[in-house]
Amino acid sequence: MPVTNNKPRELLTGAQTVVRACFDAGAGSMYGYPITPATEIFTGWIKQGGKYLQTEDEIAAGFAICGAVLAGEKSFTATAGPGTVLMQDAMSMAEGMRLPFVVIVAQRGGPSSGTVIYSQQEVTLACYGGNGEGLRLVYSPGNLEELYHFTRRAFNESWQYRFPAVVLTDGYLLKTRGAVTIAKDDLENFPAEPIVKAGTNTHLENIHTLEEELFSKLKKYEEDYNKMSSVVASAQEVETDDAEILIIAHGIVGAAAQAAVKILRAQNIRAGLLRPTTLRPFPKNILDARATQAKRILIVESSFGQLAQIVRAELQPEISTPIEYLQFPGLGVGPEVIVDFVTKSQ
Amino acid sequence: MSLSHNSMPANLAKFCPGCGHPLVLMTLGKVLEEQKTAAEAVLGLDIGCSLLAHNFLPINTFQTHHGRVTPVIMGFKRAHPESVCIGYTGDGGAYAIGLQSLLWAARRDEPITVLVVNNTVYAMTGGQTAPTTLKGQITDTDPTGASNDPLLGPELLRSVCHPEAFLARTAVNDIKTMKEYITKALAAQKSGHFSLVEFLSFCPTNWKTKGSQTLEYLENLKQVFTLGEF
Amino acid sequence: MAYKILLAGDGGQGIQLLADVICQSAFHIGHEVAHIPNYGLEQRGGVSLAFIQIDSEKISYPKFNRSDLLLLLSAQANERTKEYQKEAQELLRIDDYKETLNNLGIKSTSYNIFFLGIILKKLLEKKLVDLNRAEEILLSRLGDKPNWSENEKAFNAGMNLS
Repeated sequence: MPVTNNKPRELLTGAQTVVRACFDAGAGSMYGYPITPATEIFTGWIKQGGKYLQTEDEIAAGFAICGAVLAGEKSFTATAGPGTVLMQDAMSMAEGMRLPFVVIVAQRGGPSSGTVIYSQQEVTLACYGGNGEGLRLVYSPGNLEELYHFTRRAFNESWQYRFPAVVLTDGYLLKTRGAVTIAKDDLENFPAEPIVKAGTNTHLENIHTLEEELFSKLKKYEEDYNKMSSVVASAQEVETDDAEILIIAHGIVGAAAQAAVKILRAQNIRAGLLRPTTLRPFPKNILDARATQAKRILIVESSFGQLAQIVRAELQPEISTPIEYLQFPGLGVGPEVIVDFVTKSQ
Repeated sequence: MSLSHNSMPANLAKFCPGCGHPLVLMTLGKVLEEQKTAAEAVLGLDIGCSLLAHNFLPINTFQTHHGRVTPVIMGFKRAHPESVCIGYTGDGGAYAIGLQSLLWAARRDEPITVLVVNNTVYAMTGGQTAPTTLKGQITDTDPTGASNDPLLGPELLRSVCHPEAFLARTAVNDIKTMKEYITKALAAQKSGHFSLVEFLSFCPTNWKTKGSQTLEYLENLKQVFTLGEF
Repeated sequence: MAYKILLAGDGGQGIQLLADVICQSAFHIGHEVAHIPNYGLEQRGGVSLAFIQIDSEKISYPKFNRSDLLLLLSAQANERTKEYQKEAQELLRIDDYKETLNNLGIKSTSYNIFFLGIILKKLLEKKLVDLNRAEEILLSRLGDKPNWSENEKAFNAGMNLS
């Protein structure tokens, strides 16, 4: 992604970076509820003068966003863990009514209250939560620049394509403070328009009397989703052209895997990384191509297989490359852990 | 905007014969027409019998989720303050699953209007016990009879509301008062305050009443639920 | 290759303040930095860790097991970082400095600033931080507080320790 040299370098935390992106995206309001490790996004937005309301719970925050976007206002929330669970009610309404709902999910340990710190255990919730078919946009940033860029994308693409969007990050990245170059003008903002305009007599439903009505509606949604997928699905590839062992990891674990690949290559091990930057829609074409070429696949994540489940579901069934798993639910995974595993199994 | 027979859509949802909803909706429609605010009116619906109103009035209407119409309407109003925002719900959506949000919207004095159609049961799902079910009333989910007195919504909310918030209860067989209260409620919204009107409403299907029995049942409810402004 | 500093103490001892000073003064002279705090649930009295990295290249992962420099400011920190101690290249233990701190008359509320002096001196030798910027940040964070003179004394003592 573009990082221009004449932009100022700033020392920012992940949370501050998200706040900046939301302002730059033209967000008009934030509805939120305090929950670690997402709270600093809320307080940061407020400190910078953003319009906001602290609601009585995450349910109200989510539904207030639904109301705001119906009126044409870019609105968002940030939540985590048990809050992400509660958010599914409103996200389902957004899925059913094609509302541009934006939520930053700060993954923490689960299930239940877990830890307030970190995990990659909200992948399934973000991608397939609620009682729908996962017609959502889910972005997984691996560093501060991507956190900014993907938050901008979330607003743009949810308003353009009308699917709820999740910026799926975690407590580690949000707390990390580092040097960032914010490329504000590299992206234009997709304009927001009222979905329910004054004087138009618009009637919107999310419940249908007959099965056939729902089915035909969902078929249309699926068509829209598939058309959008080819444009939106994205991934980063590192040394995949001649990779014998293909590592698949996302978010901050993907960043660790990137460092691991560098170390492994220096030891003459032909490792490569496929790092999906959207989990929904999943970059299936790249996956199939690289999975076919590799001799082994290693899926690394801070969960007991939530990413692996998606990879297997997306992988073309005829591809028989053996898959191994490195799984640490709720625990950080640094480059050394990945390097150790690969070198020991050579 | 007109409510003549010819302007009703062909696939108009079917309220039960004798239901109180059409009476409330038509009165709302009349008030909006007279005040010339139909263009900016926005009607949010709970999921229960309220959902059937989705194409009843020729104004902007959208379904929400059960118990969630209040925050949706609140979000809409905050994004577009010129709109006339009305949340339309039953007693279950208002006082059980949606009570948290209703209480807080009232507490924050959100300038929205919530209309609660109270027939004392969860009607669309077949008549289960609701927050406003009468003490001792037997339903499928309380075969030994409800143990509590009904929850009195406007009374409860008064303790957290701004003095200029409008809270009232009337009945669907009193069109004149319905019109008066809806008008006052929308006026409170215009002045920047919360408003809620509860309507004691007919539900012959779940009350299992016929003809004049339905009216008697309603009159009986008036002995339990005080009518008036709060 | 990133230079890795792990600071550990009790919540309230000012570990994150140290991290702030180090990060800002490294960033100021164009280095890539990463700092991530790690603490428990308690608002007071739990352990407080700061993982800091300074490098010429972008830092990919904010945490690490092997540190170049590990600071242990309390008994609790000592208990909770046993695994990290095994892999630390250089250890700064408060227990090893108890006598020095006593002799110099450093107050316990300034222990963190004393060690900041020691750490900055090491980082200056490696050209990883800018002293002026560090002093600027320190002044802005603590200059208005009543015990500034104690902190100033502790900082200078740490810097001048041979």
